[in-house]
Amino acid sequence: MLKRIVLILLIATTASAQTSADLEKRLDEMKRQIEILTKEIETLKAGEQQHAAQPEQGVSFGGYGEFAYENPEHGTPSADLVRGVLYTDYKFSDRVLFKSELEVEHGTTEIGGSVSLEFAHLDYLLKPQANIRAGLVLLPMGIINEQHEPTTYLGATRPEVEDRILPTTWSELGAGVFGDTGSITYRGYVVTGLDSTRFSAEDSIHEGKQSGSEALAHDLAITGRVDWHPFEGTLVGASVYNGGSGQGRGYKGTVTLADVHADAKFRGVSLRGVFARGHIGDAAAISAQNGQTIGSSTGGWYVEGGYDLPTRIAVTPYFRHERLDTQRRVPLGLTRDPENDRRITSFGLAFKPISQTVIKTEYEMIHTRAGNNANQFNLALGYIF
Amino acid sequence: MKKLLIVVLFALAAHARVIETQEQALASVGKNLARQTFFLTKEQAAAAGLESQLVIRYAAPNGVYAYFDTHRVRTEPETVMIVVDASGAISRIDILSFSEPTDYFPKRRWLDQFLGRKLDNELSLKGAIRPMSGASLTGAAIVNASRKILAVHRLLPK
Repeated sequence: MLKRIVLILLIATTASAQTSADLEKRLDEMKRQIEILTKEIETLKAGEQQHAAQPEQGVSFGGYGEFAYENPEHGTPSADLVRGVLYTDYKFSDRVLFKSELEVEHGTTEIGGSVSLEFAHLDYLLKPQANIRAGLVLLPMGIINEQHEPTTYLGATRPEVEDRILPTTWSELGAGVFGDTGSITYRGYVVTGLDSTRFSAEDSIHEGKQSGSEALAHDLAITGRVDWHPFEGTLVGASVYNGGSGQGRGYKGTVTLADVHADAKFRGVSLRGVFARGHIGDAAAISAQNGQTIGSSTGGWYVEGGYDLPTRIAVTPYFRHERLDTQRRVPLGLTRDPENDRRITSFGLAFKPISQTVIKTEYEMIHTRAGNNANQFNLALGYIF
Repeated sequence: MKKLLIVVLFALAAHARVIETQEQALASVGKNLARQTFFLTKEQAAAAGLESQLVIRYAAPNGVYAYFDTHRVRTEPETVMIVVDASGAISRIDILSFSEPTDYFPKRRWLDQFLGRKLDNELSLKGAIRPMSGASLTGAAIVNASRKILAVHRLLPK
């Protein structure tokens, strides 16, 4: 009997020892497997899939757009798909990049809209301080021309100063250099000049942009900017443009533009200002050619500011005030139209449910030196991805 | 589900343009780093703003910890290494991979604003961190990543 009990206990103990050893072995194996899996996941998360040693090529997509509703006190309300833009860049190598934006304005080309390349250029990166750019380039004037995504500026519409005095969005075929020395950035290009046949009294040089569309290249222009970034989020700078607009029509029509600009964001406060002046040579000849009074001097300025309230969702009350005149001076014997001397004041609220979308509501008051007032309510929806 | 996760992670990783490998970054943090794995509870992960319950960090003998975070900037992923010192403040921040256009790449001077920062209201684009001119989404992504890592750091044993 005793022998039987001992035998049973021995068998049970051996079986238990085997089970325990087996369990321990299996646990060790599971630990090893988990370790391997976590390492794999970590590597994948860190994005190191053998790319470190390969030539780095690739295409990137992005985009932005804006919708607007305008309800003037006197007039018909309107709604517009102002623009939808698809950004594409391709990195041929660490040193050569292609960048472009394809823009559809006003929804469709069947009812007054347009499709155009806003810019399309090749960048040859030599070193941060000096690089080469060639193609259809954005002119480095003001602030909005190069940085015009709706989430980057306050206001349901772009400032008129950066539309009529500095004709945003302005791109021309050309080439030049750009660089960044840390606290100083610069750009300088030689580009095709403006075409004076499309200058107007109300919009000055705005429609004279050639935008790379079979551009006349008899007269070229030089343009450049220098910005000082005293600290992150703040820049102070100046831009210039000088070039002929006659394009072989018997007069030079030299257009000179200059602006000083500043932009600062800190602790939720945004402040921005631009002061611009323009001079159009041979304005009398251009006026005679175009059948309207082209201002020989143009100018304007604006300031805008906002405060991103300390709320969970970004809510920014803002204001903008601008003053502009596309006929500060006109050729001898011609008359200024006081309608072109405008003061515009806007107050609004910008909501950003997420940082990539913005909803802006504002009230805009427009006064002209002719004594006409036009107030309107604007609503805009913008996105960037 | 796991397979799907791995496929998605691989797709993200395959696009990344690597500036510095994880190995290179860690080598510059120090020697004899111990790789530590933690499995958070769902509640802990949610409190830190993490989608994953798996956290891996590298501990240096001097009480310094290196964390990695991969996140989307605009449409493309970015990987950062954030080193937290013994006091719980950020002592280093590096971009390891970045696939957005180069215009949106943060300058060293901008990244240096994070040094010495702890998890508080100042670590915010509405606080002491100045936004990046023309690259607000990059700025927001890195601020979010740093807040997330410091929140996780608070949860883990030192």
